[in-house]
Amino acid sequence: MTARRRLVPYGLLGPGAIWLALFFVVPMYFMGELALRTGTFTEGFQSGFEVSNFSDALSGNTTQFVRSFVYAGTATLIALLIAYPLAYAIALRAGRWKLLLLFAVVAPFFTTYLIRTIAWKTILADESPVVSVLQALQLVPEDGRVLATGGAVIAGLTYNFLPFMILPIYASLERMDTSLIEAGKDLYASATQTFLRVTLPITAPGIVAGILLTFIPAVGDYINAEILGGTGTSMIGNVIQSLYLEQRNYPEAAALSFMMMVAILGVVLIYLRLAGTGAFMGDEEERG
Amino acid sequence: MEAATATARHVSDSAPARAWTWLRRNALMIYAGIAVAYMLIPIAIVGLFSFEKGTAQGEYWSDAFGQTAVNDSMIMSLELAALTMVVATAIGTLMALALVRYEFFGRRATNLLIILPMATPEIVIGAALLSLFITYSFDLGFTTLFIAHVMFSISFVVVVVRSRLIGFDRSIEEAAADLGATPFATFRLVTLPLLAPGILAAALLAFALSLDDFVISNFNSGTAVTFPLYIFGASLRGIPVQVNVLATMLFAVTVIAIALVLWQQRRAEQMASVQPEQEV
Amino acid sequence: MRVVLMALVAMAASLVLAACGGDDDVGGGSDQEVEVAEPGPPVEGEFNISNWVGYIDKGEGSTIEEFEAKYPGTTVNYTEDVNDNADFFGKLQPLLDQGESGGRSMFVVTDWMAKQMYDLGYLQEIDYADVPNVDANLKESLRSPAFDPERKFSIPWQSGMTGLLVNQALAPDIKSINDLFDPQYKGKVTVLTEMRDVVPLMMKADGVDPEDATKEDWLEQIDQLQEAVDSGQLRRFTGNDYIQDLTNENVVGVIGWSGDIALVENDDVEFVMPTDGCVLWSDNMVIPVGAPNTAAALAWADFVYDPKVQADISDYVRYVSPVQGIEEVNPTLAKDPLVNPPEEFTADCTTQPDPPGSAEDVQEVTEAFQAVVTQ
Repeated sequence: MTARRRLVPYGLLGPGAIWLALFFVVPMYFMGELALRTGTFTEGFQSGFEVSNFSDALSGNTTQFVRSFVYAGTATLIALLIAYPLAYAIALRAGRWKLLLLFAVVAPFFTTYLIRTIAWKTILADESPVVSVLQALQLVPEDGRVLATGGAVIAGLTYNFLPFMILPIYASLERMDTSLIEAGKDLYASATQTFLRVTLPITAPGIVAGILLTFIPAVGDYINAEILGGTGTSMIGNVIQSLYLEQRNYPEAAALSFMMMVAILGVVLIYLRLAGTGAFMGDEEERG
Repeated sequence: MEAATATARHVSDSAPARAWTWLRRNALMIYAGIAVAYMLIPIAIVGLFSFEKGTAQGEYWSDAFGQTAVNDSMIMSLELAALTMVVATAIGTLMALALVRYEFFGRRATNLLIILPMATPEIVIGAALLSLFITYSFDLGFTTLFIAHVMFSISFVVVVVRSRLIGFDRSIEEAAADLGATPFATFRLVTLPLLAPGILAAALLAFALSLDDFVISNFNSGTAVTFPLYIFGASLRGIPVQVNVLATMLFAVTVIAIALVLWQQRRAEQMASVQPEQEV
Repeated sequence: MRVVLMALVAMAASLVLAACGGDDDVGGGSDQEVEVAEPGPPVEGEFNISNWVGYIDKGEGSTIEEFEAKYPGTTVNYTEDVNDNADFFGKLQPLLDQGESGGRSMFVVTDWMAKQMYDLGYLQEIDYADVPNVDANLKESLRSPAFDPERKFSIPWQSGMTGLLVNQALAPDIKSINDLFDPQYKGKVTVLTEMRDVVPLMMKADGVDPEDATKEDWLEQIDQLQEAVDSGQLRRFTGNDYIQDLTNENVVGVIGWSGDIALVENDDVEFVMPTDGCVLWSDNMVIPVGAPNTAAALAWADFVYDPKVQADISDYVRYVSPVQGIEEVNPTLAKDPLVNPPEEFTADCTTQPDPPGSAEDVQEVTEAFQAVVTQ
């Protein structure tokens, strides 16, 4: 290989790597730096090493931290339950309807996120038919409501991030060699057995990717809590937003953002260890 | 699970039993229908709203562009999305090529650099960028939005194009080289056309991500008002019906665009699958 | 998996690095001397103004078009990008701190926000000789508010009353702020995210005069708010988005702003002056430092204080008009107590106060309130 040829990949990477370094890595550094500053907004924030910003940010917002992970976790689980059979149907059963169904799943992406969420607010209004039905079915208490509860926030998160769950699972099912199912049927006879021992393990990478792609944006979300939530349903994103843009307490806001990122990476790490697969885009890493 | 329901083992001739069998056979597809309906409900509501409230039916459709603020924000969003799409797709495709085609030092770090933005919640990205812009007193506006949108789109472009590249038959390129094509000509005449569907998908994704972004934009927009930002403001005081009209229009246009792309792709695939035989 | 580990290491490293570098201050006011906005003539060129959503008449023959017609060669870029005082300021502050306004010649913010900006040196002063209509037509009651006794840096755009918006069919008994906390309306009432509206109203209902209130009084009301959150009495904290909740009957009574009654599409909902009185405020036109084309900004302020022009705006927005003389242009409009409230109607009202004490005290109260909101 010539020296020039060795330089080619760097030339190809250059623009993208520089862009990401400048506008992703460097900002993270500044956020870290901001998180350690002292002072108040009116007097200016001086640089420092105020580690207590981190403990303050955590101690004051434990509830919201826990709530964010619980809401996002629940939404991810529900999304998985909805998405798997749907992806299965589209990938293996839909036949000529495949493209149309796939398309219908992606379609909601193309109306603005906010508009979709606001539409749900109308659908779930206290006096709406949907809520009356839920009340009749005893799923919601007679004088109860859906809107402005944690349930509404979870429902919103589930809906808004569902395509992120469906697509990777669909992709893994689509790639699957269907003759394996036939072989499984010959081997285990029962369709349930075949599903559990053949289909599920093969599509595990898709499931892992889907879970991560749903969970991560859901944890950091604040729009659903803002529009569909009520009192006592704020997520950590709402707190960060308020600290940054309402209270202008930049150091604490930055500290909180930083800790959220660490917490998410921690959860992802534990999860990937438990799931035992490197499906999360870093697939090549695992192979290498 | 559902897979099991489709295989009916016991066949009976009585009507209820036949209905039951039919139901079991089609349960999965019925479920899929319901699930897809669920996904489309909000869009139906938005479409419905676009016809509401006025003195005449469809009044707001004939006056779709009657709200300057709505139009301006929509134009800004479209410009931003188009620009983001072009730049992010170009940069991201090159990165994907480097990652799949070459072994080089720093590959793992590059992978990390691409994965991390996707693993970071939007609010953290938005806040971090704002920290940078504040520290350096950047003029917040269209430029900072553009910087941010390209940044978060790159990773998605790389992932999509890379998945296409991995399943790529390199012997075609080698054949071109054997026939005397320069590397650049090979790239332009062979690689690029074969990659086109992947690049197109990536471009569409980048466009959609940019058009839809609220959180990161909200932090870094300064004076600029994109469509989602406008909606957020307007939603506080009662959204002009035109917003629903434009949203429905946008949805329809994207649907048509994607349908055309899919149709085109299918035709290309059909042609590609026929050609070798003709040439032999 | 290794990727995530590497990410954690990288982040830790960036933190350590961060601790070592960076000396620039972030935030803090500017030390420049206060400028006085430069008047015209000529009045021409681009004129960028930021205002709240739905705060001006639109369409054929609108105020903006009339202004452009009066000053040929002027283009008004009217942007509705103010949704929330703190939010707007948060986004703009880094620019203002550099003595820039992001191209804006003028924007509209509420009293306390205008005061905070002025104190930080972010606003230019206004010479009343340059805006004769304002000098002549500004209502007497608005001429010397506590936050800007000489109206040096602020001209009211519209004023308003914070009180109750109540669905009369569903909750005819809500007359005082305290009635919102009646258990029969549990989960059906909301309050605003604006601390300076909510807390003083609650104080008035408890017989505390907001003007003399101590920091402890503020914190005590915030505690009460916390209890109402814990018991599930309060449904949400809202901005203007209570409008939709009132229209859909998700809520029966809210603390809200008077002019929004025009936007609620439900005939049962009315503005109710609380028996304990209301909170009065104005949203003000201000000229930021570094503003381009201040000549057009001053001409604009003067233009909207022409009663004929004001009547059009007022007819559309239905907030309290700060301009006297609209009764001669539009007598019906002037009789609307929400547009032109008679003195006895607002007798028990208080001008929107700031929490007392130093900047730190205000910060403490604000944080306590925000902690309840983002719970």
